[in-house]
Amino acid sequence: MTALSIDLRDRRTTGRPDYVLIFAILLLSAIGLVMVFTVSAPRLEADGFSRTSAVLRQSIFVVAGIGVFIAAAAVSDRSWRLSTPYIFGFTLLLLLVVLSPLGIERQGAQRWIPLKIMDLQPSEFAKPAVIMALALILSPAEESRMSWTRIGRALALLAVPSVLIFRQPDLGTMLVFTFVAFVMLFTAGTTLRQVVTMVVIALVILVSAFQLNLLKEYQLDRLTGFLNSNSDEHALTTNYNQNQSQLAIASGGLFGRGLFNGALTNLAFVPSQSTDFVFTAVGEQLGFVGAIIVLGLYLLVVWRLLVIGVAARDRFGMLVATGVAAMFGFHVFVNIGMAVGLLPVTGLPLPLMSSGGSFFLTIAFSLGVCHAIWTRRSPVPGERRLMS
Amino acid sequence: MRQPWRLTVVGAVFLGFFAILVLRLWYLQVSSLEDSLDSAESQQLSTVTIEAPRGNIYDRNGILMAGTEAALRIVVDRKLVPEDREEELIQNLAALLDRPASDIRHLFEDRGVGARFTVGGEVSERTAMFAWEHIEGFPGLAIEPQPVRIYPLHEQAAHLIGYIGAPGEADLLRPEVTPRDRVGKFGVEGSYDRQLRGTPGTITYRVNARGQILGIVEETPPIPGGSVTTSIDLHMQTVLEAALVDGMSLSVEAGNEPVRASGVILDPSDGSVLAMASVPSYDPTLFSDGLITQAEWESLSETNALNNFAIQGNYAPASTFKVVPYTLALIRGIYPTIEQDEHPGQQDPSDPTSFFCDGTLQFPNTPLLHDWAAHGEVDIHTSLQVSCDMYYWGIALQIWENAGDLWDENLLQDWARELGFGARTGVDLPFESPGLVPDREWFQYHQVKKDGLVREEGGWAGGDVMNMTIGQGSLTATPLQMAVAYATLVNGGTFYAPRVVDEVVDIKGTVVFRNLPNIVRKVDIPDVTVDSLKEDLHGVVAGPRGTSRVAFSEFCGADVRAADCESLKQVGGKTGTAEVRVALTEEDEEVDTAWFIGVAPLDDPRFVVVIVIEEGGSGGGVAAPTARAILQYLMEESVTPIRSGGENTE
Repeated sequence: MTALSIDLRDRRTTGRPDYVLIFAILLLSAIGLVMVFTVSAPRLEADGFSRTSAVLRQSIFVVAGIGVFIAAAAVSDRSWRLSTPYIFGFTLLLLLVVLSPLGIERQGAQRWIPLKIMDLQPSEFAKPAVIMALALILSPAEESRMSWTRIGRALALLAVPSVLIFRQPDLGTMLVFTFVAFVMLFTAGTTLRQVVTMVVIALVILVSAFQLNLLKEYQLDRLTGFLNSNSDEHALTTNYNQNQSQLAIASGGLFGRGLFNGALTNLAFVPSQSTDFVFTAVGEQLGFVGAIIVLGLYLLVVWRLLVIGVAARDRFGMLVATGVAAMFGFHVFVNIGMAVGLLPVTGLPLPLMSSGGSFFLTIAFSLGVCHAIWTRRSPVPGERRLMS
Repeated sequence: MRQPWRLTVVGAVFLGFFAILVLRLWYLQVSSLEDSLDSAESQQLSTVTIEAPRGNIYDRNGILMAGTEAALRIVVDRKLVPEDREEELIQNLAALLDRPASDIRHLFEDRGVGARFTVGGEVSERTAMFAWEHIEGFPGLAIEPQPVRIYPLHEQAAHLIGYIGAPGEADLLRPEVTPRDRVGKFGVEGSYDRQLRGTPGTITYRVNARGQILGIVEETPPIPGGSVTTSIDLHMQTVLEAALVDGMSLSVEAGNEPVRASGVILDPSDGSVLAMASVPSYDPTLFSDGLITQAEWESLSETNALNNFAIQGNYAPASTFKVVPYTLALIRGIYPTIEQDEHPGQQDPSDPTSFFCDGTLQFPNTPLLHDWAAHGEVDIHTSLQVSCDMYYWGIALQIWENAGDLWDENLLQDWARELGFGARTGVDLPFESPGLVPDREWFQYHQVKKDGLVREEGGWAGGDVMNMTIGQGSLTATPLQMAVAYATLVNGGTFYAPRVVDEVVDIKGTVVFRNLPNIVRKVDIPDVTVDSLKEDLHGVVAGPRGTSRVAFSEFCGADVRAADCESLKQVGGKTGTAEVRVALTEEDEEVDTAWFIGVAPLDDPRFVVVIVIEEGGSGGGVAAPTARAILQYLMEESVTPIRSGGENTE
């Protein structure tokens, strides 16, 4: 009797798209396009270019991203699990290519593979690949029975792309890996003791790396150079960017100054404002209310991803959804935290809103995979098999 | 359902993260709004000073002598140029203006960091359009109509008008002058800079971070400077300058090598300067765009073309100075007696002023003194007409011998100073020279100082006074001083400070400054002396023995005899030939500076004309014909070509 009623309900809901998630994703992308337009148009016009050239380019990425999302969502979660080793391997290959002479260097970091239409940034693609690979390794473990061996294997797997990315260097992506791995290990069932041990070991490694000068001076320079690399052609300091950004957001007030009325963002006083500092434009032009709406939409996405994790029919799906939620939420928190002056500048873009192709496609792919997990979720939420 | 608690923890952590962000946003956007609004607003404002258009300068008939026009100029605001793009801007400007980058870099260094300044002269609309279309290559650049000083007369009246330039140290002491301003340096531009410059305005722009101007927030328009009306009559000025050039040509034809010429036309009835010129001249436009080249500057310096010799030239006035001892002799009854026992019976016994001039004077232990000619019998009147040096030497000796007895030793010097020698006339033009009246005190001072101005041996002597009576020796005067002295003598003793500017009118048409005739002092001189002087000045130009009778013989045209020429009856004058270098050998050329001072009309003098042609030859031969052409114009006769006033004249 009970079983029958569950069956009926689940048959009705299985396969239905997550409209709330899709709505939030599309709305955030649309707001992102408007923001990119408002901050780029006056400057482009002043420089004698077409007002719409920047927003058109971003629109192409959004359309491509939607395509990637639909495609990723159409593939079954099992196929994604089976192809995870290949995806991970391919990503490692791309990371090697970046460090080869084929990659190009900008502002002291070798991070891009130049293609005709856009410059690929493999460290972005590495994010979902690492999440899926970690999920694959951690999924066979049982709740609260996480062995140190498995944790070691997971960390060893994480180390390979980390070393490659450290060579670029890309501190932001490494922070993402660390946070995502931590969240996934916790979700996968590590004990409190294991969590504390890992944190202590990580701190010891970090402190000794600095104490023993394991980092050579040029590496430090490159790291700090990276920290400052968010400035545009003005080569202004990190502090300047952040102060300007903070000031712009503050001047937005409760309801904002209106589109194209932002004294600072529209007039190009805030550097990198269509990429890393796009939230500044929201804060100044749409005010506290607009910023809260945007934050709410991001929270909505994170919430839906965690719900997908809960609803996933196996531990792989659960871990992938949690990993993506961690990556997504971490980007949002760090990026906005930087724009409002709470966190140092690390160059993590704002998901779905910052202009730039690689990251938008990465996020679209990650969300597409999660949506594939959603549409093939377990008929009984929370009840999933260890192995399919 | 054992796993969701872990996911719930993850969700809670993110909720916490987002809550922190919301609190931070609330703090920034809602609770501290006021401060940040001000701060954000001020970032995008840029206030610049707008140069006030300089006031116009007119002649007495309202003809424009100097004005201000708006011209499109390239303006660089270095505050808005990112430091690392400065070199790029310099290179692009060099390409745009087709000038060497080093020039532009020099200008940048010259004006300093944070300065706002114009680069180059007027730019064409096409150049401006090009710059606007490629503004991304020109950070901090604006193209604005800027007031530009124009001088429509170019070289004409240039010394009177003056020019403008970067402020010097003295200018910077004035509170209203900033190093970026341009100030009047010379002429009326210099002496009336305060009235001409106006009050600068300000414009507050909205700019973006790259210095691109988006709009005007607030504007205080500049108040243009006042307009100056001068006493100059540009027609007379034209005639004077043309005559000076022709006079120099005449001098060259006569085999001289004139250095320059200068002249003044002064109204003795109120001290107005009607015309004033110094040749060679310069074009003040060279200075208004700040782009004078080194070669131009050097050529101007070489000829001293920037100096106004009418007020800055220290010349020996030569025989034109004789009117001073002449009037003194008449007033005090001082007449020469020297060597008259050698020529018994050759004087007029009824006339105490009668004197026989044999052309030479002999003193013990001194070379024989030569007059420029042997004039025969003269009296006080003819002595001036024929310009007899011996007569005035005689007067000097009378003064010298009776000094301390009948009068003070400085009798002649004091009289000369009364008439304005040895002191600035007070004309409203900068850099006027005071000239020099030598006396015993001056002589001894410089003898002790051993500065080479006076001889090392012997004391102040009667010979020095003799030299002074004929306008030689250490005595110097400017052409304007001579004009003022003559004006004072012929107008009956009223010493007017000469003046160039009549009034200054502000932009609303209110007269803010009126330069009324300024009587410095009344010089006590009897009417009979004035009449006598006028008569004898007329004798110089029309008398049978007058030193400039040849130059004035065709005053009313070639077909009218001088005796029948009515307007000539109203003309008087005095020649002067100042020895610059004495011919010591046969081959040596004697070099003289030619003077002529004319007065007209004699019944009611309105014009005193002073002509100096430096190293130009004799006064009667060269300066007199030059002045004659001007006097013809002033007396409304047709001006005839300047021809030699005859050889062997004084």
